[in-house]
Amino acid sequence: MTDINKHEEQKRFRAEATSLWKITFGPLVWAVHFVATYGLTALTCAKGWPLDPLRIGVGVGTVLALAGILWLGWGAWAQWDTLRDREWENDAPTDEDRHQFLGHAAFLLSIISFIGVVYVALPILLFGSCQ
Amino acid sequence: MQNIWLSDGMGQGRRQHNWKSHAALTGILLLAGCGSGRQSVLNPAGDDALMLFDLARVMFIGALILWLLVAALFIYVTRIAPREFSRCSAERLIVGGGVIFPVLLLGALLIYSLPLMSSQREADDGLEVQITAEQWWWRVNYVLPNGDTITSANELRLPVGARTGLRLNAHRVIHSFWVPALGGKTDMIPGRETFMSLKPETPGIYRGQCAEFCGASHALMAFEVVAMEPEAFAAWLAAEAADAVPPQTPLARKGAGVFAREGCGGCHTVRGTDAQGQVGPDLTHVGSRVSLGAGILPDGVEDFANWIAHTEDLKPEVAMPTYDYLSDGDLTALATYLEGLE
Ligand code: HEC
Ligand SMILES: [Cu+2]
Repeated sequence: MTDINKHEEQKRFRAEATSLWKITFGPLVWAVHFVATYGLTALTCAKGWPLDPLRIGVGVGTVLALAGILWLGWGAWAQWDTLRDREWENDAPTDEDRHQFLGHAAFLLSIISFIGVVYVALPILLFGSCQ
Repeated sequence: MQNIWLSDGMGQGRRQHNWKSHAALTGILLLAGCGSGRQSVLNPAGDDALMLFDLARVMFIGALILWLLVAALFIYVTRIAPREFSRCSAERLIVGGGVIFPVLLLGALLIYSLPLMSSQREADDGLEVQITAEQWWWRVNYVLPNGDTITSANELRLPVGARTGLRLNAHRVIHSFWVPALGGKTDMIPGRETFMSLKPETPGIYRGQCAEFCGASHALMAFEVVAMEPEAFAAWLAAEAADAVPPQTPLARKGAGVFAREGCGGCHTVRGTDAQGQVGPDLTHVGSRVSLGAGILPDGVEDFANWIAHTEDLKPEVAMPTYDYLSDGDLTALATYLEGLE
């Protein structure tokens, strides 16, 4: 392997390193939304605060979280690039396939995060009381 | 509908001609226990139980339809028209039937059922009952709107047509409060009060049962729930608030003497007498309860005698000593006295 090739490879790997991080962002948004929602609800019920601000807060937080996840999911979808190359699986040991595989994984994780956020928010939006 | 089936049971001749067509239904009802349905979620007698019954039916029918669809599809693709699927249509089936459909269905069920949960804990219409679970019996205190408290035990009486709040507590271990014919189940946790409310609609006597394992006699920790017309309930509550009636007959008076001599008052309260113990159930009106020993015996003179002389046999590890050394005469007198505490 020539020096130039090695250099090229390292550069790509660096790019992929950030993409590896990127697949956690969807679940991360879900986790933050989860903790914030549960924490705020526990606090509101323990202190006997009115429920409407909680509902509005959770509603706004949920819309923001969903928008974030949609945006991440859209990016992951583009990275997976399945419509253009018609490749559902990307299992070749090439940089391109690695790149697209990570897009695929991030896309699926965004979907589950989206569903998770909706299901976490539903009880608070529909429940009438702390009981 | 389910009443007929529950009380008839299966195979009593009369309905045998069509039992096949109802075998599935009967099977389900038998599973729910063949008794009178006093402790059955299939025999709802209150607002909350009705709601839960509807919920269960929606879920059950939904699950049934889903199961039939999946089974039919399975038979279709393996028996009726076996063929190879294109990758694309197989993936469409998996993503559509395995991801999108369940997510939408579960979401819809969640949206339908979540609001039902909070209505099970609606505020009361004025009456509140504090119930504390002990091993293995129930302290029951009625709290009136003016703050007065009326102490009872091992039985819950409720007015029909009104919502009564239940503040639930437990001593030492976790128990769970459940009257299937009237509503849902709520855990009773030491150091943490939980709340639920019940609104009975049909007068009657129902059975409740501790629904969380709480030690040796957990299964013997039950209670009767008497749902009464509001006027009858008010009269009963006024009587329950009064002190104990003094013993009327010589035998009962002798029994009161045995009660004092044996130190029963160290653990039990009989209001209006020297007996002020707090360890065991309040006995001020024990003679008017429907059952004895937290729902395990009827409430007759011989049952009192049986309980006092065989306590440990009837309820393993019970916190009351067995008085098996009492003479038959003392025992009968004592039982007569207690039965007279109406
Ligand atoms: C050490 C305390 C203690 C003493 C002494 C004691 N008991 Fe009890 N008793 C209890 C406890 C605790 C229970 C509840 C047992 C259970 O159901 O788990 C009970 C239950 C009962 C019940 C059933 C109450 C109900 O609501 O169904 C009766 C009746 C009774 N005792 C009578 C007596 C008599 C009569 C004596 C004296 C001969 C006596 N007890 C002595 C602790 C005591
Ligand atoms: Cu229990």
